[in-house]
Amino acid sequence: MRPGGNIPLLNSMLHCIIEEGLFDEDFIKKRTDDFDKLKEHVKEYPPEKVFGITDVPAELVRKAARKYATSKNSLVLYGLGVAEHKGGTAGVIALANLVLATGHVGKPHSGINPLRGQNNVQGACDMGTLPYTYPGYQSTSDQSVLEKFATNWGVNTLPVTDGLLEPEMYSRAIKGKFKALYCVGYDPAQTQANIGHVHEGLKAMDFVIVQDLFLTETAKFAHVVLPSACFYEKDGTFTSGERRVRRVNKIIDPPGKAKADWEIICLISQALGYPMFYTSPEQIMAEIARLTPAYAGISYDRIGDKGLVWPCPEPDHPGTPLLHTERFPRGKANFVPVSYIIPEEVSDDEYPFILVTGRRLEHYNNGSMTRRCEGFDLISPEELVEINPEDAKRLGIQDGQMVKVESRRGRVKVRAWVTERSKPGTVFMTFHFQDALTNILTSPGLDSKTLTPEYKVCAVRIVP
Amino acid sequence: MVKITVDGKEIEAKKGHTILSACRKAGIKIPTLCHLEGEREPESPCLLCMVDVEGKGRVRACNTEVQDGMVISAFSKELQELRKERLEVLAKSHYGDCRAPCNLTCPGGINVQGYVNLIAKGEYLAALMLIKEKNPLPISVGRVCPRFCETRCRRILLDEPIAINHLKRFVADYASEVGFRDDKVGSPTGKRVAIIGGGPAGLSCAYFLRKQGHEVTIFEAADKLGGLLRYGIPGYKLPNKEVDKEVQNILNLGVHVKLNSSWGKDFTIKDLKDRGFQAVFIATGLSRQKQLDIEGSEHAICGLRFLKDVNLGKAPEIGNDVLIVGGGDIAVDSARSAIRLGAKNVTVIYPRSRVELPAHQRDIEEAEKEGVQFFLMATPLRIMEEDGRLKVEMARTILDEPDERGIRHPIPMPGSRLFWNGDTVISALGQEGDPTFQSFGEIEASIKLSPRKTIKTHPSTMKTSVDGVFAGGDCATGSRTVIQAVAGGRRAAESIHEYLMSEKAGITEPRFNFTKGKRFEDVDMHNFDGYSIKLNEVMPARPPERRKGDFDEVNLGFSEEMAVREAKRCLKCGCLGLSKCTYRELCVDYKIKANLSQTRLKYPIDKSHPFIIVDANKCVGCERCVRSCRYDALELSIQRDNKSQVIESVLIRFNENCVSCGACVDACPTGTLSKKDVVIPLFPEQLNKKQSVCTYCGTGCSIDVVTKYGSILEIKADYDRPPNYGQLCVKGRFGYTFYRNEERLKKPLVRDSIDEPFREVDWDEALRIIATKLNHIKTHFGADSIGVLASSRCTNEENYLLQKLARAAIGTNNVDNCARV
Ligand code: SF4
Ligand code: SF4
Ligand code: SF4
Ligand code: FES
Repeated sequence: MRPGGNIPLLNSMLHCIIEEGLFDEDFIKKRTDDFDKLKEHVKEYPPEKVFGITDVPAELVRKAARKYATSKNSLVLYGLGVAEHKGGTAGVIALANLVLATGHVGKPHSGINPLRGQNNVQGACDMGTLPYTYPGYQSTSDQSVLEKFATNWGVNTLPVTDGLLEPEMYSRAIKGKFKALYCVGYDPAQTQANIGHVHEGLKAMDFVIVQDLFLTETAKFAHVVLPSACFYEKDGTFTSGERRVRRVNKIIDPPGKAKADWEIICLISQALGYPMFYTSPEQIMAEIARLTPAYAGISYDRIGDKGLVWPCPEPDHPGTPLLHTERFPRGKANFVPVSYIIPEEVSDDEYPFILVTGRRLEHYNNGSMTRRCEGFDLISPEELVEINPEDAKRLGIQDGQMVKVESRRGRVKVRAWVTERSKPGTVFMTFHFQDALTNILTSPGLDSKTLTPEYKVCAVRIVP
Repeated sequence: MVKITVDGKEIEAKKGHTILSACRKAGIKIPTLCHLEGEREPESPCLLCMVDVEGKGRVRACNTEVQDGMVISAFSKELQELRKERLEVLAKSHYGDCRAPCNLTCPGGINVQGYVNLIAKGEYLAALMLIKEKNPLPISVGRVCPRFCETRCRRILLDEPIAINHLKRFVADYASEVGFRDDKVGSPTGKRVAIIGGGPAGLSCAYFLRKQGHEVTIFEAADKLGGLLRYGIPGYKLPNKEVDKEVQNILNLGVHVKLNSSWGKDFTIKDLKDRGFQAVFIATGLSRQKQLDIEGSEHAICGLRFLKDVNLGKAPEIGNDVLIVGGGDIAVDSARSAIRLGAKNVTVIYPRSRVELPAHQRDIEEAEKEGVQFFLMATPLRIMEEDGRLKVEMARTILDEPDERGIRHPIPMPGSRLFWNGDTVISALGQEGDPTFQSFGEIEASIKLSPRKTIKTHPSTMKTSVDGVFAGGDCATGSRTVIQAVAGGRRAAESIHEYLMSEKAGITEPRFNFTKGKRFEDVDMHNFDGYSIKLNEVMPARPPERRKGDFDEVNLGFSEEMAVREAKRCLKCGCLGLSKCTYRELCVDYKIKANLSQTRLKYPIDKSHPFIIVDANKCVGCERCVRSCRYDALELSIQRDNKSQVIESVLIRFNENCVSCGACVDACPTGTLSKKDVVIPLFPEQLNKKQSVCTYCGTGCSIDVVTKYGSILEIKADYDRPPNYGQLCVKGRFGYTFYRNEERLKKPLVRDSIDEPFREVDWDEALRIIATKLNHIKTHFGADSIGVLASSRCTNEENYLLQKLARAAIGTNNVDNCARV
C-alpha cells in the first residue's frame, strides 16, 4: 500500500463490515458508545474510493474485512508502521474502532497489541519515564499521587509544571531555554527523526551527560560520558510487550570501571545531595511495588522463570494476561471517528520518492551492539536503499551501485539494493548505521499528541 | 492417567503421551537421537528408542502412545545389543576429533584449545581460570614446560605448532599485572591434610585441596616455599620473584605453612597423625643426585647443590674452565649458570649422541648460543688434582651390544684416551630416589618403594602402601617435569578428597575420543585445505651476548597483540559441538569403539554461512536440523547403504531462505552443525547456564546464557520456556559478542567543550563535575532547564530511579524515553 494510507484503509474495512452487517451487535450494545457516529463517518470510505489514496484494490479490502470480522478469533498486532506517522495516534484509534466494532477483544487469542521494537519500552513507560505520569501511569496532576510520592520519597514538594516531551527539549534548547540533558542508554543523535534538528538542540545545551556502552553518535555531543553495564552484567527486570515482567540476571562482570545504570543513577543522586541508597535492584522493585498499584503484587521471588503479567495488584495475585474482559478502564468504550491525516510531506516532481524507514532483522536500533557482534557484518555490513527494479531501470541504477538519497533536509550516500521489496515510487532505508545517518533525511512531521516522528513517510530523490 | 509397567516397574503416565515422554517423566532414560518434541517425523528414524511392548511387539517409544496396562521391556539385553549395533553403524561414517590433540597430550590435561581461543577473543582471565582448573602454577609452567602439547599440535602439519606455552605465560603474567585474584575456596569440610614438601606437587595439591574446603598445612624443610621452582631452576629461566608470586597466589587461598620444618628431624608421619591430620601427602621431590662412579669423583661438585647455591646467591668460585658431566636439564642449567658466573670455557660431556641428550633441544640451542660446548660420545674415566687444578681423563664412547631389553649402552672405546684440564668439574647425572626417609619412623618404614627407590604409589590415586598416606611428584615418579608434578598434586588432591569425604571431586572426563588420527601420518591432509601458511610469533628474548652476563630472565614474554595473533592461528581441532553432542554420550554409554570411525575427510568443511560451520563428516542422519528449521532454509539429503545402513553420502546446504536463527545448530546432536563463535570445547557438565531475557525486541524471549569463567560462550533457548519455546532470532542467538568488544567504555570520560577530546577520569571526579554543573544550571536557569532521557536498555528499576532522580532530586517532570523510535 501507499505509505500514510492506514486510516483510510482501516476506515474502508469498517465501511465494508458495516455495509455487510458483520459487526458484533451484542458487544457494541453492551460495551461501547457512539457506534452511530462511527457508522456515519465511515460511510465516506468505500474501498473503491479509498483505492485512490492507498493503492489497495477494493476487493482485497473487502476480503480482509470479511475474514477479520467473521473469524472466531482475530488479533491485531501492530508495529511502528502504524504509530510513526503524523496521524499515528489516529491510526491506532482507527484500529481500535475495528476491534470494537467486531468485538474481537477481551477474550483469549484476540484483542489489539502493539509490537514493541525495543525490549523494555513497555517497562520504561510503566515506570513513569514520561513527563506526564508517575510509575504505573499515575497522573502528575493528581494531587493524591503527588502526596503519596512526596511522602515516600521524603521530599516536601514535587514538580507541578508539565514536563517536556523529548522533541520539545531540543526545540527549547535551540531557543536557549533548556540547558542540560542526562541521556541513558539512548542514542537520539542517530535514531531520532530529522536529526539535523536534534544535533542543533544538543549543541545548544550547556551540559550533556551520556551513559552508554559505546561512544555513540549522541556521545559526540556529550561533556561527560559514563560507562555502563550491558544487560548480561546487571540484575533487574524487563517488561515485555505483553506486559510480562521478567528477570534479567547478572551473568558476568562489567568491564573496567563500568557500572550498572542503577548504581550510577544512585551515585549521581547522592552527588546532587538527594540520598538514594539501594543494595540491589530487588530493593528498588520493592519500592516500585509499594508505590505502583499495577505492580503491587510483583516481587523477585514471585517472578520465577515465566514472569508475571501486570496488572498484578496483590502479593498473591496471579497476574492479568487478559485485559478488558468485563469492562474497559472508563467503563464503556467510545468509538472515535478519525479522518485521513495527510503526511507532512508527499512526493512531488522535485522529490519524487517516498522514503520509508524501519529496521532490519539483523540489527538493533543504532547498531552499537549488533554492529559489534561477529558475523553480523557478513549479513548486513552497511546501509542500503531498497528500490524497485522499475524505478531503478528508469534512473539507470544498478544493484549494488552507490547512490545519493536526498531530502529537503540533507543527503546520504548509500548502496542501492534493487528489489521487489519496495514498491514503485517508494524506497526503504534503516537507521542502524552510524556511517550513513538516514535520519538526516527523515521528516520533521510529528504526531500531534505523542510527538512521535513520521519515520514512515518523507519525500526524497535518488541521484545515481 | 494410565498405568504402565516398564521393566517391572509400574509408572503412571498421562493419556496421549508417548512411551518416551512417560518414561522421561518417570526418570527412565530411553536413548534417542532423532526425537524432536512436537516436530514432524524423520524420514529415517534412528530406532534407538525401540522397546518391546507385550502383545504389540517392537515399537518406537517416541511415537507410540501409552495405553493402560502396557507392559514394556526397555532395556533387555537384546534391545541394548540392537542399540549398540545402530550406534556402531553410525560410528563407521563418523569422522572428527572430539578433543584436540594438544588437550589429550598435555600431562596436566589442560583444555589447551579452550584457553588459546579465549585468548584469541581477549578473554584473558577466563583463559587463566581454565588453565588453573588443571594447573595452579601457570607462571612457572608457562616458563619451563617442555611443551608436550606443542609436539602434537596439528598445525605442525601445516607450518609450525601454536606457541601454546608462551600463551600460557602471557595470561599468567597478564593476570599478575592487573592483580587478578578470583580463586574461590570451598566451604570448610573440617578435614585436615598435611603436605610434606612445598615444591610444585605440594603447592598444586594444596591449591586443589583448598578449593574443596579442606584445611591444609605445608611442611617445608627450606625457609621458603617453591622447592625445585626456586632452588632447581635458574633465574634466567624462572626468576625467584615470579616464584614468589606463584607461591603467594596459592597461599592466598588460606594455606598454613611450616617453614624450616624437616621431615625426620622435626616430625614424623605419626606426629602428623597425632596432631589430627587425617591425610598426608608426601611431595618431597628428589634431592639426591646420582653418584659419579669414577675414580676421583670427590673432586666434582654436585650439580643440584650448585644450582641451589646459585639461586641462593652463594655460588662457589668456579674459575675459567668448567666441565659438566651429564646431559639432562641439570647439566645444561649448570653449564649456562657457569657461563653467567664468568667461566670462559664450559663443556658438557655426554656419552651419547646429540639427539639423545635428555635436556630439551631448545635449551641446548640456547646454551650453545651462550657459548656452552657439547662434547658428545665421550665419558670421563678419572678425575685427578694437579697443581691446584683438575685434570680429567676421558675416552670416546661407542655403543655396546644390545642388552636383554634391546638397549645399547655406551662404553669407552678401547684405547681411547683424552685429557681435559680445568678448574671445576660439576657432576650432573640427574636425580634418584632416596630411601633414607624409611628410617624416620614406624609408619615411614612401612611405606613401600619402587625398584627405582622412589615411593611406590598407585598411578591414578597416588595412594602409597599406607592408608591415608599419599605421594606424588618426583619422589614418587622419579625425575619428571613441573607439569607432571602439578598433575600428580592435583590427582592426589582429588584422591585425598575422595578418601576423606567418600565422594568424587569434580567431574571425570570420559576417555572416549573419536580422532582424526593419533599419529601425524594418519591425519588426512585435506583437513588443511583452504588454510594459508602463517608462522608463529617469535618469543622476544634478550640476545645471548647480553644475557650471559647476568641471571635475569632471557625470555621477555609476548605482548598482548602477539598473544592474540598467535592464538588466532589455532585450528580449533577439538569438536565445537562437544557440549551438545548426544551421539558421543551414547557412544560412551554403549561402549562403542572409537576406532571404528572413518579415517578420511569425505566432505570439505563449509564455513560459508555467517554463523554456522557445517562439517558433514560428523552427520548421524537424524534430520533434527531440517525438522527444526521454520523457514525451509536447510536442504539435507542423506544416502545410506541399503544393506549395512552405513551413511554413504551427506549433503547439507543452506538456501536463501535462511534467516540465521540458529535453531538448526542447537538441534543438531553432533558437531556437524556448530557455531563459529563457540570455540571452547567443553563437556556439558563443565558449563554454566543461567536464565535471562533477550535484550533486543519487546517480545521478551527467554534465553539461556552459557558461560565459562565469566566469558559468554553461547546463547540458547529452552524448548520448554515461554514465550519463544526454543526459538530465537539471529540477534537473540548470535548477537551477544558486543559485550567484549574492545570499544566498550570502561572509564568515565569528561571534557569542557564538545570540540575537545575526552579525558579519562575516575568516578569521583566525573560525579563532582556532574554535581557542580547541574547545580549551577539549576540555580541559574531553574530545574526545568534540565531533562532526563531514559530508555529501553534500562531495567524497570533503572527507569524508575531515573524518573525519581528527575522529580525528587532535580525537581522537574522533564523525563522522557526512547519509545518513539
Ligand atoms: S591447532 Fe590449536 S587445537 Fe589444534 S592441536 Fe594446535 S593448539 Fe590444539
Ligand atoms: S539458521 Fe534458522 S533459518 Fe537458517 S537453516 Fe538454521 S534453522 Fe533454518
Ligand atoms: S546435521 Fe546434525 S541435525 Fe542434521 S542430520 Fe546431521 S547430525 Fe542430525
Ligand atoms: S526413532 Fe525414536 S528417537 Fe529416533
